[in-house]
Amino acid sequence: MNRRVFLMGIAGAAGCARGPRLNVYNWSNYVAPDTVSNFEREFGVHLRYATYESNEEMLAKVLSGNSGWDVVFPTHNRIPPMRQYGLLASIDHARLPNLPNLEPRFQLPPWDPHLDNCVPYMWGATGIAYNRSVTPPPLAWADLWNPRLKGRLTMLDDPEEVLGACLLKLHLSYNSTDEPSLRRAEREAIAQKPILRAYLNAEFRDQLVAGDLLVAHSWATTAQQAIDAAPQLAFAYPAEGFPLYADNAVILRESRRSELAHEFINYLLRPRVAAAIVETSRTATANGAAQALLSDALRGNTTLFPTAETLTRGQWIATMPAATQRLRDRMWTEIKSA
Amino acid sequence: MKPASGWDRLRAWFLLPARIWMAALFAAPFAIVIVYSLLTRGAYGGLGQPWTLENYQRLFDPLYLEIVLRSFLMAAATTAVCLVLGFPLALFITRAGPRKNLYLQLVILPFWTSFLVRLYAWLFLLRDTGLINTALQHLGLIHDPLPLLYNNGAVLLGLVYGYLPFMVLPIYATLERLDPALEEAAADLGAKPWPALLHVVLPLTAPGLRAGSILVFIPALGAYLTPDLLGGGRTVMIGNLVQNQFTTARDWPFGAAISVGLMALVGLIVLLMLRSESETLV
Amino acid sequence: MKRSLAIFAAAVYLFLHLPLAVLAIFSFNSSRFTVWQGFSLHWYAAIFQDPQLAESAWNSVVIALVATILSTAAGTLCAYGLWKRGSKLLSGSLYLSLVTPEIVMGISLLALFQWSFRWLHWRLGLHTVILAHVAFSIAYVVIVVAARLRTFSPALEEAALDLGATEWQAFRYVTLPALLPGIIAAALLALTVSFDDYVITSMVAGVDSETLPMVIYAMARRGSSPVINAISALIVVFFGALVLISERVRES
Repeated sequence: MNRRVFLMGIAGAAGCARGPRLNVYNWSNYVAPDTVSNFEREFGVHLRYATYESNEEMLAKVLSGNSGWDVVFPTHNRIPPMRQYGLLASIDHARLPNLPNLEPRFQLPPWDPHLDNCVPYMWGATGIAYNRSVTPPPLAWADLWNPRLKGRLTMLDDPEEVLGACLLKLHLSYNSTDEPSLRRAEREAIAQKPILRAYLNAEFRDQLVAGDLLVAHSWATTAQQAIDAAPQLAFAYPAEGFPLYADNAVILRESRRSELAHEFINYLLRPRVAAAIVETSRTATANGAAQALLSDALRGNTTLFPTAETLTRGQWIATMPAATQRLRDRMWTEIKSA
Repeated sequence: MKPASGWDRLRAWFLLPARIWMAALFAAPFAIVIVYSLLTRGAYGGLGQPWTLENYQRLFDPLYLEIVLRSFLMAAATTAVCLVLGFPLALFITRAGPRKNLYLQLVILPFWTSFLVRLYAWLFLLRDTGLINTALQHLGLIHDPLPLLYNNGAVLLGLVYGYLPFMVLPIYATLERLDPALEEAAADLGAKPWPALLHVVLPLTAPGLRAGSILVFIPALGAYLTPDLLGGGRTVMIGNLVQNQFTTARDWPFGAAISVGLMALVGLIVLLMLRSESETLV
Repeated sequence: MKRSLAIFAAAVYLFLHLPLAVLAIFSFNSSRFTVWQGFSLHWYAAIFQDPQLAESAWNSVVIALVATILSTAAGTLCAYGLWKRGSKLLSGSLYLSLVTPEIVMGISLLALFQWSFRWLHWRLGLHTVILAHVAFSIAYVVIVVAARLRTFSPALEEAALDLGATEWQAFRYVTLPALLPGIIAAALLALTVSFDDYVITSMVAGVDSETLPMVIYAMARRGSSPVINAISALIVVFFGALVLISERVRES
């Protein structure tokens, strides 16, 4: 009975693979409902597509060098370390004819100027999602310490983001690494706790829509999803500045399907494909050509596509040196325990 | 002498699968974790060379000791509530006659859905605009919503919810084996139902209560999903700390050291419990 | 007293099942947000249109079945072996495995697998999940079967031995049949624990081995989708029916 069931299971699993296979591990909500199936149909391959919610979740699997994934999507500041650990394969530009579709600023990004190992995919920023009933509207980080928000405010459950918001509030750089600055930021975070309801990464969206929350520390895409559901919500790019991030497609060195992986990335670079993804998932694509195909409302959406003037206040998140990581981690524990 | 050696041989074979499994998939992994705890964090996470005891030294920092204490208190509270809820429930099931098994299954049934989903259901119930608050407001009992979520009470609720069956089952098992004649004898001697319960049944159930307590206390000590979701990330328990080290902080050696420390604590508790027990669970 | 016990029990059962009831009710909600907006079955339809769900459900079932069979077999033999003469080491390690926090178990198994992958040309997959599940289920089986064994008198076996049976025959024809209800109960418990596991599974699952709890977790983290409610309702109904049927069979 034991063996039979086992073999049945294996047969079942094997039966799912028809033709060549590609394993893609991506952030959740980063493709349209038919993106994967269209690719499978057009190229006659089977795509295994799974999702994760944090870089660390993905890195934990990938660091072993034997995870089984072919294409993953790390955030830009994880790419230098991944390269250092020898986890990334080279990107062959000859196999990516759609590469010029990228916005000019993503063709020479600071973290990989020649796009040797990565292809920018989606980008975004962190800011403040709020209910319009809050007057005056919270347009700066400093507004998140206002006592009248007591119990109706959440921050992201992410040490980088929370300390970063505190640093920006103090008019310091988001990427500060010196201890005195970080300590000041930590004090701010602890001072905020009494009015804070919770540290939430995803659950706040529903609560904003339902009206439980008035203000939330939020990524732009999550905010836009909430605004879609509840027009009384809005998003602000804070006055003191805000962090920018970009998620990039990379091919893992362990992958033995490099050609198919390139095909997939090339497919994602198609304007129509990228535009479809933006329409359904409310993410900001790095694909410049796709933006022309978006509906007028979406193209002019300042939450997802802020004006150039707003963008000047943004800072790319830098890779954290190892020494600071320990300090920040300890501070995060202190903040949470306070 | 023949039966003895035959029995020994049979026993050796019978114990072999379990022994292999425990050695390969419990002891060995744990040994590896101990090795990890003696290493250092690599440049960008992972493991690095210098062998060191530093991770263990870090454990004694008051910040972390406080977290241990808090976890202890939460686990103790969970165990206490489970005892109060679990014992009468087990009693009820034992006395339910032919429907016994059905009631028992009803206790286990919630387990069939994903634990996470049930936690999210509690989120839905406890939120400001959730079912409970809305109902209470409709009934006119409160004006403003009660802050039922994202605090220690919610975490306690979630932990009790998750571990109650582990308390009920051992108590039920012990109660089942009690000779009903004992209770009858107590009644014959003139004891009223409640005192009989307290002075006769309860002490005899002690092994089951102890077993249930361990099965609730220790996992509750290391829980992390519940405090994370229902606590809103506001508090850090040991489980959250370990989880954090293996994900966000990417400090595997420190996470491993905390795990070893936790297991040492667990081992100590188990040892103390088992020593005072004439009848063990396995 | 019987009445007050019954009332108390009813309250506790309500507590245990309230979230399930809520889930079930809102699985019929036409809106995806938690405001009631009308009756609809389209979330149930959505389940059957999602191939990932089907595959993960299949994985969960396969893993649970195989792990249950392995752990029940190993656990039953172990409980029997420990019956007349214990083994402090084995009992101790079984007990310890029972109370080890899941996250510690998960990371230690992940560490083991990643370390052994240097020698074996393996990766994480269904097999690693099954191995992990057996590791934490064996103790449950041993406890349940051992508890049942305690009510069993060794005199029966001794009688068989006196009549000329070997130890194995005594076990096979005398003890084992009597243990069957306990073994089934143990298997059911192992099945439950395996099917519901998230923490350990998520750590040792590979590319191909997403289980239902993992998919549900991913969905749930992104916001409460009523599809999850629908899945949960279906699971409860299915296993509830299973339980009821087994009750009928047992009684007849």
